[in-house]
Amino acid sequence: MSITTEAGAPAGKAWKSKEEFLGCVILTDWILLFVLFLVLLGSYHIHYMLLAGDWDFWIDFKDRRMWPTVAPIVAMCFAAAAQSFFWTKFRLPFGATVVTLALLVGEWINRYDNFWGWTFFPISLVFPSALIPMAFWLDVVLLLSGSWLVTALLGSMGWGLLFYPSNWPVLAQYHQAAEVDGVLLTLADLIGFNYVRTGTPEYIRMIERGTLRTFGKDVVPVAAFFSGFVSMLVYFLWWQFGKWFARTDYLANDEI
Amino acid sequence: MSLATGKAAAASAEQADVIVNYRPAYIAMFCLGVFYVGIRIYEQYFGWKAGLDSFAPEFQTYWLNIMWTELPLEFIAFCGIGGYLWKTRDRDINAVAPREEMRRLLTLVGWLLVYAFTVYWGASYFTEQDGTWHQTVIRDTDFTPSHILEFYLSYPIYIIAGWGAFMYARTRIPMFANRISVAFLLFFAGPFMIFPNVGLNEWGHTFWFMEELFTAPLHWGFVFFGWFALAVFGVVLQVLGRVIELSKEFESDVLAL
Repeated sequence: MSITTEAGAPAGKAWKSKEEFLGCVILTDWILLFVLFLVLLGSYHIHYMLLAGDWDFWIDFKDRRMWPTVAPIVAMCFAAAAQSFFWTKFRLPFGATVVTLALLVGEWINRYDNFWGWTFFPISLVFPSALIPMAFWLDVVLLLSGSWLVTALLGSMGWGLLFYPSNWPVLAQYHQAAEVDGVLLTLADLIGFNYVRTGTPEYIRMIERGTLRTFGKDVVPVAAFFSGFVSMLVYFLWWQFGKWFARTDYLANDEI
Repeated sequence: MSLATGKAAAASAEQADVIVNYRPAYIAMFCLGVFYVGIRIYEQYFGWKAGLDSFAPEFQTYWLNIMWTELPLEFIAFCGIGGYLWKTRDRDINAVAPREEMRRLLTLVGWLLVYAFTVYWGASYFTEQDGTWHQTVIRDTDFTPSHILEFYLSYPIYIIAGWGAFMYARTRIPMFANRISVAFLLFFAGPFMIFPNVGLNEWGHTFWFMEELFTAPLHWGFVFFGWFALAVFGVVLQVLGRVIELSKEFESDVLAL
């Protein structure tokens, strides 16, 4: 897009007219938002896939203990950093939602185009975790409280607690019990065993570990509570990271 | 005749005084998008047909030849872009008029847009794609089809785009030329370090069988350096801050929006 007016800019002025200025800055604001969206998408995605990816890739990894513990804690990092930036610099209460949406856009493109399109895993095996309801919650708490401290305490605990219920409407069907060759397992397990991956041995080791993991009905609430607790700590830390990365200071040329 | 000539001259002058032109950035993104879709189609076919056994002759033909072609081209592009921008730098940087400075700031936004676009393809698209390939095919080389397009193509391309943005700012925009923006340095250098980190990653894969978890600690170097892309926050604030400084007379109009 090009924006010009007939009159020349006055000496020492950047703009020829108010119309030129407004048209240009509105367009540039949108472009900078898109820049932020793409960069956050890339960095959040590489962070999330390499710290919680296995639990997010596969339906059989979406268990009752490790998945609701690992995924929210790892996801909290960028949600807190984005809130820190958008709230402290612009008073915009959508940092967590925007950055989470960015992550999910990247994930869904990949699961369809690569996991399904290239290596032929069914989407029912590889769909990503739902995170948007937690992000809404975090942003609403920040908006209503106006306080990052309250958000760290109340929002982060809700972030951890909401994770499993947010995913349950989709996940429940895959946790139906099935008996195959005399072995009791879930439909998620069955799908996983039919698509053997290099991660399968670790998965088998993981699901057989721990008495409460195997038999206890209270595992999910305990995992969610623990996840919320760690998410609080992560929120404090990553709010500060977000502030640190929003620094606008300079070094002298001869300092590097 | 003279009237027509006068109109043409006025139109030409007006064209030369365009304050913002994002078309080159849009064209660059379009070309990159077409290129990435093209190589995605290539790997759809030749990944399975010729990419499973690195000792097979067809692997050399269809995959290693790509790598031996792309790496020198990327090095040339990196040096060429940096060299061109340095050679054509503004040698009187402190005499830049406000309108010209604004034009260059907005051109930098175009550079940042292209950089962001390439970061998406490298860090998101091709990196997670590599995960599903390794969950499916046991590697017998460091130079797998997915790596040849991820580590040695999409990563260098975003490094070149980031390098171009950084050098454009350093050579043409006073506030970035007279001092070094910490945020901009981190925004370029952090994601850049992901590429050298490939050395650690592949060295580790020669020792250990790490395929059972994509979240293996060996991969966390990528995560650490990926965090530095958050320095885009500081870069955006610096650009917007200068735009505001140069637009003081319209402050009330902005607040009324």
